[in-house]
Amino acid sequence: MRAAAPITQPRLSIALGLLLGLSVGSAAAEVVVVVSKNSPVTALTREQVVDIFLGKASRFPDGTRAVPIDHLEGSALRDEFYLKFAVRSPAQVKAHWSKIIFTGRGQPPQEIANAGDMKKVLAENPNAIGYIEQNLVDASVKVLLAQ
Amino acid sequence: MAIAISTATLCAAGARADEAGVPAISFSGFGTLGVVRSGEKRADLTAHIIKPNGAGYSRTWSASVDSLLGAQMTAHLTPRLSAVVQVIAEQNYDDSYRPHLEWANVRYELTPELAIRAGRIVLPGFLVSETRKVAYTYPWVRPPPAVYGLVPITNSDGADVSYRLRLGSVAHTIEVTVGDNELKLANDIGTAKAKGSRGITYTTEYGPLTMRATYKRSSVTISAVAALFDSFRQFGQSGNALADKYGSVDKPFIVRGIGATYDPGAWFVTGEWGRVETNSFLGDRSGWYGSGGYRSGKFTTFVTFARARADNLDEPGLDVSALPPSLAAPATGLNASLNSILRNKPVHDTWSVGGRWDFMKNASATLQFDHIRIGPGSTGPLTNIQPDFQTGGQANVFGAAIAFVL
Repeated sequence: MRAAAPITQPRLSIALGLLLGLSVGSAAAEVVVVVSKNSPVTALTREQVVDIFLGKASRFPDGTRAVPIDHLEGSALRDEFYLKFAVRSPAQVKAHWSKIIFTGRGQPPQEIANAGDMKKVLAENPNAIGYIEQNLVDASVKVLLAQ
Repeated sequence: MAIAISTATLCAAGARADEAGVPAISFSGFGTLGVVRSGEKRADLTAHIIKPNGAGYSRTWSASVDSLLGAQMTAHLTPRLSAVVQVIAEQNYDDSYRPHLEWANVRYELTPELAIRAGRIVLPGFLVSETRKVAYTYPWVRPPPAVYGLVPITNSDGADVSYRLRLGSVAHTIEVTVGDNELKLANDIGTAKAKGSRGITYTTEYGPLTMRATYKRSSVTISAVAALFDSFRQFGQSGNALADKYGSVDKPFIVRGIGATYDPGAWFVTGEWGRVETNSFLGDRSGWYGSGGYRSGKFTTFVTFARARADNLDEPGLDVSALPPSLAAPATGLNASLNSILRNKPVHDTWSVGGRWDFMKNASATLQFDHIRIGPGSTGPLTNIQPDFQTGGQANVFGAAIAFVL
């Protein structure tokens, strides 16, 4: 259990920022689509983002593999992301993935709990693509698309 | 305290990312709990003609038409190799609910675009064929029988190859399937065997637009009618001719279909056409439907029109007047038997209206009302036909279903 390790200063500030960010503007914040700052991808259209997150595209336009990372089911940010970018309600997204799961053709994206986890996964995997609140954007990520 | 929790979550996320690609097993499930009431009391409405009984004659309210439970296990053995097993419990041909193995196959991804599967595999075909048992994935209580009743089988034992090609913002998927299937028919009358099936399905997706075209050819033998046509062959040349025309031993069975869905989110329209050619007593059948719906929050309302057509609903049969009295009686009986199976074909126009309420994050409740106008000389979409049934009538059907995924 690595959580028992001493809390270092940067980690503390990330956690605090996260808590503040979440408490200040969880519903009002604008959703932005992000990749790692090390990703070669520089821009995507709304349609391209939607295709990646709905499992219709497995690669970025340049041909590299795209790994979408989702927020947990039921989170306000996730609902807002699909409503704004895909014009899909949570139930429609659920029905969409049920179609794919029960065809044996795939599984929905990996889920993470918050923007901090999202940045961590993006930093570790340059193929990963996710979304966070705009006010939580920092130097570790690159914004591809705002709503 | 809050800081400690955040730190733990960060570590957990890191650990999960590290583990990506190691063997993992996921479980999922789906189900429908539905009841159906049919106003036609001299026949049953069933989910498909292979079901032994349903709503109308057998029961006023029937839970057997739409209810089912499914469980699926997917094992990701390596990043490229996975195995899937799906088991479904629903009303069987013998009126039991014994679970059956719907799928059991291994899938290998040669590239993210190219995959092969072997084992018992879902059969592609019409737009929602693959998930026709998962009511949560479509707006209706059940997919329109005018098209989905054309092909009762849902899986095949064999192999398939799927290739997915993305050109710009258009995704193309081609699936080629080969395999065999055996279907047990209601009331233990025998089996329908499809051998050497070869099919190709092409799907194209462009934003909210999905289009699909399918073609499948197999060789079908229906043992349930073998004795009837053996009897016809006792009547010389004209008997042989009738047996050749309507018998079903190794007869080519051809399925064609084309459909499209446009679903930008707040509303949808979908339409589909299908046709089967059987070279047997089943005849040539075709069906189409158009359906549209509007979504508002957790509510969807929809309306559907469907039309089913079939040929060879009756047959003069053996010329009884030319036969000596000792043979005229059995010949009359054979003609009657032949005509009773010929008229049992779906010719109908059906209007459906309904609404769906997504009352939980993984469950929906759907109500649907169908008005069925049955064609002259046909039993429409009904089965378990009773002697006093009149062809060419009308039936009102009400269905209510709760569908869920787990």
